Amino acid sequence: MKAQYANPFITAAVKTFKQELGVDLARNSMNVKSSPVPSKALSIIIGVTGLVKGQVVYSMDENVALSVAKAMLPDRLPVELKKHTNSAVSELANIITGQASIILAGETERIDITPPAVFSGGSSFIDFLTIQTICLSFLSEIGSFEINIALTEETL
Amino acid sequence: MKRGLIVDDAAVMRMRLRDILSSRYMIVSEAENGRQAIERYRQYKPDFVTMDISMAEMNGMEALKGLLAEFPDAKIVMVSAVGQKAQVFEALSCGAKDFIIKPFEVERVLIAIDRLFG
Repeated sequence: MKAQYANPFITAAVKTFKQELGVDLARNSMNVKSSPVPSKALSIIIGVTGLVKGQVVYSMDENVALSVAKAMLPDRLPVELKKHTNSAVSELANIITGQASIILAGETERIDITPPAVFSGGSSFIDFLTIQTICLSFLSEIGSFEINIALTEETL
Repeated sequence: MKRGLIVDDAAVMRMRLRDILSSRYMIVSEAENGRQAIERYRQYKPDFVTMDISMAEMNGMEALKGLLAEFPDAKIVMVSAVGQKAQVFEALSCGAKDFIIKPFEVERVLIAIDRLFG
């Protein structure tokens, strides 16, 4: 796992939170772990293939997810926001991964990403990769947010 | 009024695009994957399509190629987070009229669609 994979995701997350949600995101911590198992209640998993391969797992608490939906869909009724919370956080994760992949791919390479999959509650039934993972955590006015980057150039 | 079809697997993005475009265009339908997009296009014959790329069942690149094979005059604007140079080049080479990378500004979307009919 190359440490330089982290910077494109930091840049992409800060830009996407500002532009999509109007929220400033601040770096909290970065650590290395053995798999991208998330630590918060709601998570979004995106598969990556091409120049780099693996998984990116985004994680946040339910109240943060609802705030994301509220910011992406202003002037909507609470019942409508609740219905579209998973869609909102999926799209946020999709945009951040897409932006990071543009930086990682550079001028000539190609990186493909899968549609996001959202899950809440325990993550023990999810088949996470067992590869070195960079865990980035962020703070914002709507709460904390985590990105687990498990990418490699090696064949998985 | 020109009629549009919005294709995106995320309901939240379909709602946002509908909100942006409804001021100038009539959105006749939405689709959440490439297969549905082709079905809805056949049904509604819209004047333009906004097309996401990363979708289950059939992705936006496959749908773009499928639609243009069947409807060579279809006006399709890609709206995707997957905007690497290779993908933008491939989409435009295949016949997409424009490529909007998410996150986007409202004006960027309106200008892209207005330009189709200018």
